[in-house]
Amino acid sequence: MKDLMAERTVDTQKLKISARNVQVYYGDTHAIKDVNVDIEDKTVTAFIGPSGCGKSTFLRCINRMNDTIDVCRVQGDIMIDGEDIYDKRVDPVQLRAKVGMVFQKPNPFPKSIYDNVAYGPRIHGLAKNKADLDDIVERALRRGAIWNEVKDRLDAPGTGLSGGQQQRLCIARAVATEPEVLLMDEPCSALDPIATAQVEELIDELRQNYSVVIVTHSMQQAARVSQKTAFFHLGNLVEYGETGTIFTNPTDPRTESYITGRIG
Amino acid sequence: MTDMTSDTPHVHGTLLQADARTRKRNAAETRFKFYGILAIAVGLLMLVILLFNIVSRGTGAFTQTFVTLDVALVEDKLDKSGNRNIEEMKKVSTFGYAPLLKAAMTDMVEKTGMEGQISAADMAGILSKGAPAQLRDYVLANPDKVGQQVSFNFLASSRVDGYMKGRVSRESIANDKSISAEQLDFVDKLIEQGILKKKFNLSFITGADASDARPEAAGMGVAMLGSFFMMLVVLVLALPIGVAASIYLEEFAPKNWITDIIEVNISNLAAVPSIVFGILGLAVFINYMHLPTSAPLVGGLVLTLMTLPTIIISTRASLKAVPPSIRDAALGVGASKMQSVFHHVLPLAAPGILTGTIIGLAQALGETAPLLLIGMVGFIASNPPDGIASGLLAPNSAMPAQIYEWAKRADPAFYERAWGGIIILLVFLLAMNTIAVILRRRFERRW
Amino acid sequence: MSELFNGLIGGSAAGLMVIVVLGLSALGFYMARSRAMASGGGDRRNLHSLPNYYGWNAAMLTAVPALGVLVIWLLAQPMMIDSAVFKTIPDSAIAEGSSRGLVMSDVRRLADGLDVIVERGVMDAESAATLDANTTDLRATLAAEGVALGSAVEQPVLDAAQMYRTQSSTGRFWMTVLVSAIALLAFVVSLRLATADFRARNVVEKGILALLILSASIAILTTVGIVLSMLFESINFFRLHSWTDFFFGSTWAPNFRGDSDLSILPLLWGTLYISIIALLVAVPIGLFSAIYLSEYAGPKVRSAAKPLLEILAGIPTIVYGLFALLTVGPALVNIFGRGEQGLLGVEWMSGATSVLTAGLVMGIMLIPFVSSLSDDIINAVPQAMRDGSLGLGATHSETIRQVVIPAALPGIVGAILLAASRAIGETMIVVLGAGAIAKISANPLEAMTTITTRIVSQLTGDTNFASPETLVAFALGLTLFVLTLGLNVIALYIVRKYREQYD
Ligand SMILES: Nc1ncnc2c1ncn2[C@@H]1O[C@H](COP(=O)(O)OP(=O)(O)OP(=O)(O)O)[C@@H](O)[C@H]1O
Ligand SMILES: [Mg+2]
Repeated sequence: MKDLMAERTVDTQKLKISARNVQVYYGDTHAIKDVNVDIEDKTVTAFIGPSGCGKSTFLRCINRMNDTIDVCRVQGDIMIDGEDIYDKRVDPVQLRAKVGMVFQKPNPFPKSIYDNVAYGPRIHGLAKNKADLDDIVERALRRGAIWNEVKDRLDAPGTGLSGGQQQRLCIARAVATEPEVLLMDEPCSALDPIATAQVEELIDELRQNYSVVIVTHSMQQAARVSQKTAFFHLGNLVEYGETGTIFTNPTDPRTESYITGRIG
Repeated sequence: MTDMTSDTPHVHGTLLQADARTRKRNAAETRFKFYGILAIAVGLLMLVILLFNIVSRGTGAFTQTFVTLDVALVEDKLDKSGNRNIEEMKKVSTFGYAPLLKAAMTDMVEKTGMEGQISAADMAGILSKGAPAQLRDYVLANPDKVGQQVSFNFLASSRVDGYMKGRVSRESIANDKSISAEQLDFVDKLIEQGILKKKFNLSFITGADASDARPEAAGMGVAMLGSFFMMLVVLVLALPIGVAASIYLEEFAPKNWITDIIEVNISNLAAVPSIVFGILGLAVFINYMHLPTSAPLVGGLVLTLMTLPTIIISTRASLKAVPPSIRDAALGVGASKMQSVFHHVLPLAAPGILTGTIIGLAQALGETAPLLLIGMVGFIASNPPDGIASGLLAPNSAMPAQIYEWAKRADPAFYERAWGGIIILLVFLLAMNTIAVILRRRFERRW
Repeated sequence: MSELFNGLIGGSAAGLMVIVVLGLSALGFYMARSRAMASGGGDRRNLHSLPNYYGWNAAMLTAVPALGVLVIWLLAQPMMIDSAVFKTIPDSAIAEGSSRGLVMSDVRRLADGLDVIVERGVMDAESAATLDANTTDLRATLAAEGVALGSAVEQPVLDAAQMYRTQSSTGRFWMTVLVSAIALLAFVVSLRLATADFRARNVVEKGILALLILSASIAILTTVGIVLSMLFESINFFRLHSWTDFFFGSTWAPNFRGDSDLSILPLLWGTLYISIIALLVAVPIGLFSAIYLSEYAGPKVRSAAKPLLEILAGIPTIVYGLFALLTVGPALVNIFGRGEQGLLGVEWMSGATSVLTAGLVMGIMLIPFVSSLSDDIINAVPQAMRDGSLGLGATHSETIRQVVIPAALPGIVGAILLAASRAIGETMIVVLGAGAIAKISANPLEAMTTITTRIVSQLTGDTNFASPETLVAFALGLTLFVLTLGLNVIALYIVRKYREQYD
């Protein structure tokens, strides 16, 4: 673990997302308690914490996916590029084009590989013409590190790919809409080690262009891919800082217990 | 993975203002949602129109116009010998009673000061053609009243009734031979005098069907009994057979191709058009087994076959809902598999089974098409059955078949009765479904 | 009570037998139970099984074999007598253009007719048995009692009918003897079995299992009954009428004097046309309702609107038939007909019955059918699929149109096929709302007729199972059965595959 940390370069980036006093309720359950966090641009930020501590919930607040859950209420402010995304004037549809999301289980649409990737650009009107769209799809698939595997069968259904390929397809799909922030909720939990390695490599590449927020249960993964780490516990953000610091020198005893495997 | 340096990240504008494209997409969203609301609204509107139609056109059947007449039961005409011998009195046919009615009418016309306004034939046309028969039935039941003056409530003819209910108007009778403008004038007078009145008509609910010429006398009662006996057959056969079949398939059947065939068979039978069951009934029960036509027994058998799949499907669902732990518990204390099913699983599944059975019965109660083929329409179901055997075997109609029969007679007076019959049928269905819902609510168990 | 009893005896010997056997079986129950108790010295712990099992064993043993034989006898007797009588009909009795099978159906009618007149006391049993076709006008006598015969009665036919009657009554006699004997024998045996060591429970449970299996196979028997009954009569029909005319002819014109054109095509056209209109109404409304209810509506709206829509499915079809004939039809005439007085001032529609009338009303009936099936299917699409789309910034409607519906498409197609099969087999709405004119026309305002209405019209009223005009109904029924069954099998297959995909 030490070696991994050593080669990490930590340079300060400009602020992308800032959350202030965020509270989330599911009906009467208080799922997120007064969370404050600043997430930087062109950085991979990892959310870790025991199951049910509210990582997914908080992640889904960032692109307002929680709006689709009837019982869910969000209080506090979340600013992206200085704009409050819970402002009445903000259209969540437009927000989600800017803040993309990749889910725990690969969820390709029952369409061809091409149509899966072209879906976002089509609805957001990103392509001027067919050639342009082809171009966008190819670029996205390349960025998703899956181009070589599927370039000969773009018309095949996306559901016919292997789990790892499906998840990379989903990442390519998210990338194709050209978001600025990419949220990933346990993107590797359904994948085998090889596919996991491919996705992790991909995440590292994505950092050049995006602010990536990733939820993970694997401490090693958080250590490998992220520059910043946030530790959640029972709905509280317990500790947030440089990944190296969190893993080697946590300040809060709860963080330490979790990392050393005593809670969670 | 290195050839992405050429990328220039897409720049998103401010979030605080929706761009043109988003506005367009949101408009499409609103439209789409509106279509959904529209579809539901149309569906509900149809329901409202349908129910409104039924109620507004059918309630009339529950009231009927009656004429109050004092009839002198002249002994000379009804019982010449004067010894009140019923057998002898029976020899006087309804024709013998008509003059009494005519005399009573003339009498009434005189008393109310309307002489010369109406001819004798027109006068008789006011009353139902069944009036003499009603008189005769009364006399034969009360021979001691002969020689006295008795006040009767006679049904008015269907045209007069239609006039009272707004179905018949002075404009509409131009081509109608059954009633004339003079008669309507007369009817207006009778209404003024309080002799002609609309009243609640219990005999529509309890009475028998009547011939084409007397829509005013037709009732649902006998057809209701027909339906009752059919439902009895369905209940007695379909419930035990359905439950037994479900128990076998759910609890005992090995997984093999025979069980598969039975399963596929049942789900397909549930979707076979009901008329096909009618053909089966005609070919097997009537042509081959020589059971009597038009008998509720045959109707019940056909409906049993039709309802079985429904009952089996719902029973199996209820059995499946009983958790395996109950079976294990019973087996664990040394019960046999059969005992665990009959002592533990079945009682727990009973409410669900009952609910499914009631819903199946409700379906069967409203079914018409197969009944047409086994002859439960096309005649007048005039005599109520006098026992279980005749209830099962004597020709009868059934509620939906009776409604169809009236609809076919192409007379607005019968249409009104058809709608009224629908109200009665729907009341039964509503009651059954309500019971089913209550049962489900009351006994619903979450494991 | 005695009246009831008489009714049952008069109605059939079988009814009496059932009562007797059940009575004996109940008696067996009590006697076997007490015998078992007695043999166990009055202490139930000495018995192998609970005392009731001994009772059940006796009851079952007494009733089941006897009733089984009774049922088999009742099913087999007509067939045996038929074939025996069949052989005795001389070739000379078969008129030109007729067939043995048709003469046979005359024989059966005549035999039934004679039974009827004896029962009603028009003739005593003695003189009915010694009738002479040349001296009595049987056809007129029977017609007076409401039994219609196809032709005047010939002596050979009368002889065959008399044979039919004697054999039937002999059959009934032997049936009574045999069934009583079996029941009694079983009764005695089961009582002797009722001793303490007898493993009553195991035997009873085996018996019950057999009964359960029997019940489960009734579904198969029903299907077999449906297929066979229609197949036999259809074969009879195709003996009398060319199959090419039936399947490929262009006219439907039954003529009870014979020589009819009986082609299914005009009926099929009417059926399909009406079904298509019905689907055009039901599919958009039903599908959009389902989409709204499952994707947009809050729990309150959903729990109110869904059952309300489903009321439409619970309303009997006769009600829709009446609605078509008396409400929708006249309303359409007001719009499209009545010339100057009509709403559009046109004269396109003359009567209330038409393809459009029946189609619209059938569409209304199918709305809840389509909507609740689609609702289930849309709900089976995994939430992850929707999240994926919403997460990319798609609006809800884009998600529904481009992800949910394509994902649910196979299931929805299955639902539509099921609805189509319903529409094709629907009877009452078309009987009352579609009309009776068989023709192939594209005008939806004209009256047309369907397969189901023709089945009803050919099989109600005076039916003569020797004429192609009646038998054609069975060929129509078989076609209808095959058509709807095919649609159902395909639809159920598609839906099952669809479900498996998301399980
Ligand atoms: N749709 C919902 N309705 C009600 N409560 C919810 C819902 N989703 C989550 N919760 C509750 O909110 C809390 C946080 O859940 P969340 O899914 O955010 O946890 P998590 O940290 O992502 O856990 P995991 O690591 O298992 O994914 C939990 O207590 C959970 O029960
Ligand atoms: Mg989570």
